[in-house]
Amino acid sequence: MNIVVLVKQVPDTEAQRQLNPDDNTVDRAAVDPVINYIDEFAIEEGLLLKEAHGGEVTILTVGPERATESIRKALSMGADKAIHVTDEALHGSDAIQTAKVIAKALGTIEWDVAVAGSEATDSRSAILPALLAEALGVAQLTQARKVTVDGSTVTIERVTDTGYESVQGSTPAVISVVEKINDPRYPSFKGIMAAKSKPVTTLALSDLGIDAGEAGLANAWTQVVSFENAPPRAAGQTVKDEGNGGGQIADYLASKKLI
Amino acid sequence: MNFTETEEQQALRKAVADLGSRYGFEYTRSKVKSGEHTDELWHEAGKLGFLGVNLPEEHGGGGGGMYELALVLEELSAAGCSQLMMVVSPAICGTVIGRYGTDEQKQRWLPGIADGSIVMAFGITEPDAGSNSHNITTTARRDGTDWLLTGRKIYVSGVDRADAVLIVGRAADEHSRQGRLKPVLFAMPTDSPGFEFRPIEMDIATTDKQFLLFLDDVRLPADALIGQEDAAIAQLFAGLNPERIMAAALSIGIGRYALDKAVAYAKERVVWGAPIGSHQGLAHPLAQVKIELEQAKLMMQKAATLYDLGDDMRAGEAANMAKYAAAETAVRSVDQAVQTLGGTGFASEYGLGALLAVARVGRVAPVSREMILNFVAQFSLGLPKSY
Repeated sequence: MNIVVLVKQVPDTEAQRQLNPDDNTVDRAAVDPVINYIDEFAIEEGLLLKEAHGGEVTILTVGPERATESIRKALSMGADKAIHVTDEALHGSDAIQTAKVIAKALGTIEWDVAVAGSEATDSRSAILPALLAEALGVAQLTQARKVTVDGSTVTIERVTDTGYESVQGSTPAVISVVEKINDPRYPSFKGIMAAKSKPVTTLALSDLGIDAGEAGLANAWTQVVSFENAPPRAAGQTVKDEGNGGGQIADYLASKKLI
Repeated sequence: MNFTETEEQQALRKAVADLGSRYGFEYTRSKVKSGEHTDELWHEAGKLGFLGVNLPEEHGGGGGGMYELALVLEELSAAGCSQLMMVVSPAICGTVIGRYGTDEQKQRWLPGIADGSIVMAFGITEPDAGSNSHNITTTARRDGTDWLLTGRKIYVSGVDRADAVLIVGRAADEHSRQGRLKPVLFAMPTDSPGFEFRPIEMDIATTDKQFLLFLDDVRLPADALIGQEDAAIAQLFAGLNPERIMAAALSIGIGRYALDKAVAYAKERVVWGAPIGSHQGLAHPLAQVKIELEQAKLMMQKAATLYDLGDDMRAGEAANMAKYAAAETAVRSVDQAVQTLGGTGFASEYGLGALLAVARVGRVAPVSREMILNFVAQFSLGLPKSY
């Protein structure tokens, strides 16, 4: 089975992230980049599928040159090779444009399943896997907490607010996974040493037959119009317990419609 | 000279730090309390190839060097879960067997040492032979093709979890009990008849304990002898440079752990409207610790680099200096961290009170500060010997 794992590089979630005020896009220079946290679960699931069914795991990343750092990490965890789509014209692309680029990139290889994290910690739209399945016209199996493959049938447990749904589709399929699904492995020393010699194919938009006029901020379907920083936390309200503390807390919670 | 680590070294540092942070100091503390070993962390690190990065690839290791092994221990130690047996099993024993063992011995011991499934302790110190290892009296007698070992060892780490102990003795038929030592090294399984060990009660909160060893005519086959029977002392010293580099790594990790705790606290703790870290009385000593830690680390990296290049003589000098600097800095770092946290510095959840003693060990073991100063005075400065 040929498995593709979609990996996004994002600014470190633990740092103070910001937008670039010039064009309202993510400021990638200000904060150290890391692999999107949830994508590590997608990588692990891809590796588990390979261990169970054989085949190869290909990492597919769309992002600036520096995204090679994230690709190396994914390769050091055990993936076999990678495709890196990078092009200055991609700057500021939104989810719809990115999904189209990924769909074209998938067209350059043979694949059975494309596994992604359910969302990225920077944009948090959680929409890309669905857009990608739509763009490709293939099965969409999202928010999986469990994935089972039997021949060309993929069955997942899709997380819902109250439990899970069993959803089935045929390959090729786009799968997105949630954090509950597995325990991502650490790169081993052998994996780290091997990563450098694994093949990474770098593709520009022209290699995918995409016109620069379709990509980038100027042609995006969605844009950040304005932003402001979250307001500083206001001082809390102190409740003095004079025998009625419990009632006061209940009143406060009720006023916030929390109870 | 290059002060930027390779992509692989940076990735290894990150992977080990991630693993260490998942276990962390709380894990170590709970293990010390229950008297258990840190087996889960040890085996996971072994499976990932972190414990054997320095050992040859054809024997299950990672094919890296002492630089990489020291980096692993530094990061685990900085995460609050230092692994003392890394100093012993892969660094001392793995190095000696890797350099002087026969192919059969390498095949028997190294893959297990590399993946952590075999732990080998190192028995050199005796009640009457500490720094003066020339006075070692543990004696190996030939009996047919076998060897019979008799002697006492003291302050041997981790014997209860070890599969074997690399014993440093002297051969009976060629040397008297005194005089210059021509050491003979034996890989002695811990289940050998005639071998017993007893824990020494210590006031140090660590998961690896210290032991007294009793060897009474322990019979070992000919192939338990590692290296040559009448090899030069270089064979023993081959393991001691890695020991010092790793001791430095452990101390630097402890120093980093304590400094991190102190800095985080100094930023958060507000007294009279200002974080206490804004007061120079606390900020400057922490800045000093930072500088000294960086210096010690640079010296350790120099020692490891020289060792990996095969320059044993210069690596020896640098390894001693690194071990000295790292131990001194770790003691100061923990002390200053406790001072920064005040009474909280002794609260169990920060682990700093317990580290006061652990960091202090670095000043006396594996070689005391004074013996290093003797070495530097004589070897580096050419001053006359005092003993």
